[in-house]
Amino acid sequence: MDSIISTFHIDWKIIIAQAINFIIVFVVLYMFALKPLGKLMAERTEKIKKGLIDSKKANGLLEKAGEEYKENTIKLRKISADAQKELQKDLEKLKIENLERIKKDNDEWNKKRIIQMEIDKKAIVESARKEIVDIAMKATEKILGSKKDLNNL
Amino acid sequence: MIEAKEINVNTETGGEISYETTLFAEPVFHTNNFTFTNALVTSWLAVLIIIILAVILRKKLKEVPNVLQNVFEIVVEGALDLCDQVTNNRSLSVIVFPIAISVFFFILINNWLGLLPIGGLGLLEKGEHGLAFIPFLRGGTADVNTTIALAIMAVIGANLFGIFSIGIWKIFNKYVNLKALGQIFTKIKKDKTIIIVAPITFFVGLLELVGEFAKIASLSFRLFGNVFAGEVLLASMAAIFAYILPIPFVFLEILVGVIQALIFSMLLVVYFTISATDHDAHDEHEKHEENVVVSV
Repeated sequence: MDSIISTFHIDWKIIIAQAINFIIVFVVLYMFALKPLGKLMAERTEKIKKGLIDSKKANGLLEKAGEEYKENTIKLRKISADAQKELQKDLEKLKIENLERIKKDNDEWNKKRIIQMEIDKKAIVESARKEIVDIAMKATEKILGSKKDLNNL
Repeated sequence: MIEAKEINVNTETGGEISYETTLFAEPVFHTNNFTFTNALVTSWLAVLIIIILAVILRKKLKEVPNVLQNVFEIVVEGALDLCDQVTNNRSLSVIVFPIAISVFFFILINNWLGLLPIGGLGLLEKGEHGLAFIPFLRGGTADVNTTIALAIMAVIGANLFGIFSIGIWKIFNKYVNLKALGQIFTKIKKDKTIIIVAPITFFVGLLELVGEFAKIASLSFRLFGNVFAGEVLLASMAAIFAYILPIPFVFLEILVGVIQALIFSMLLVVYFTISATDHDAHDEHEKHEENVVVSV
């Protein structure tokens, strides 16, 4: 044992000094590097895990929303098609009604016009008769006047 | 003094400067009752480097990592996974890992510092055979005092860890197996062979105690031997053809430095894991599993 100690210069003081060196390294590494880094890495892992869970949830919600969208689209298309049919019917009805009303109005108007035209015609004929009578009267008067003059001669 | 390699250089005055790669770390300065060796100086330098790196890392720690933090994170995650492979238990790995990685970095930096060419800076001291060159820096782990210190701490640490994990009584019984001796009186009626098995088990416990010292010796001398052999190899190559020939061997030693640091840390993790394992509970669990298999 003594020969080993003297050959390798084994010195308990240096052994203790080296042990202290290692303890310093351990404490410094633990306090300044491993502990904060471990905490940071754990936080990051937790964030990533949470992110993955959230992304799975979001995917689920997205799928659900997609399905809802499809269902709603189908419903809305059906509603829209029904509404379009109703509207088409209403339009057709309205068109027919309008056409009938226009025809009726037109007929009434035509009748009124004809009546008015009859009245106008009668009035014109009456005035024409009057004028003709007047002219005939005036002509008669004039002819009678000229015969009187001739008699005077 | 064992001379691993001696290089003699003639000075202009005609005197010879000898450089010996010695088995022990050379003293560089003394105080009243303490000798500071070049290996100790290198260790201080290693500690300083680690402190600087740790402080820089702490200051620049961000959620989005920079280069240094990225490298350190990769190393830490890889090392933790490696620890898991040994312990098979994440909670155990988390406890052992800081010690193991500290050992790894301490040994690694010490190993690599021994390879730096600034080992060429040193003192000239008058010895018995004329002037002798003493380098300021020698790989910290190329001094057996460093490796013994680390090995003692590893073995004591493992046993303390065992005491905190499974209890002092079980650790005590691992070495001085009083439980086995007690079984002679409790199980003699059921099993007569216990009278032979129990003393053997007790003796095995004593062998475990010897094994702990063997662990210290094997850990310390393996690391010291490998690193010291590397330094001798580089010195020999430099003596044959300086500057050029040692270059490939320097790369080899860089690799050896990593491997030796890794081996030491992995063995430390293994010792801690073994120490924290309750063998009685493990045996009972195995027996229970065997019974289950038989009943099935």
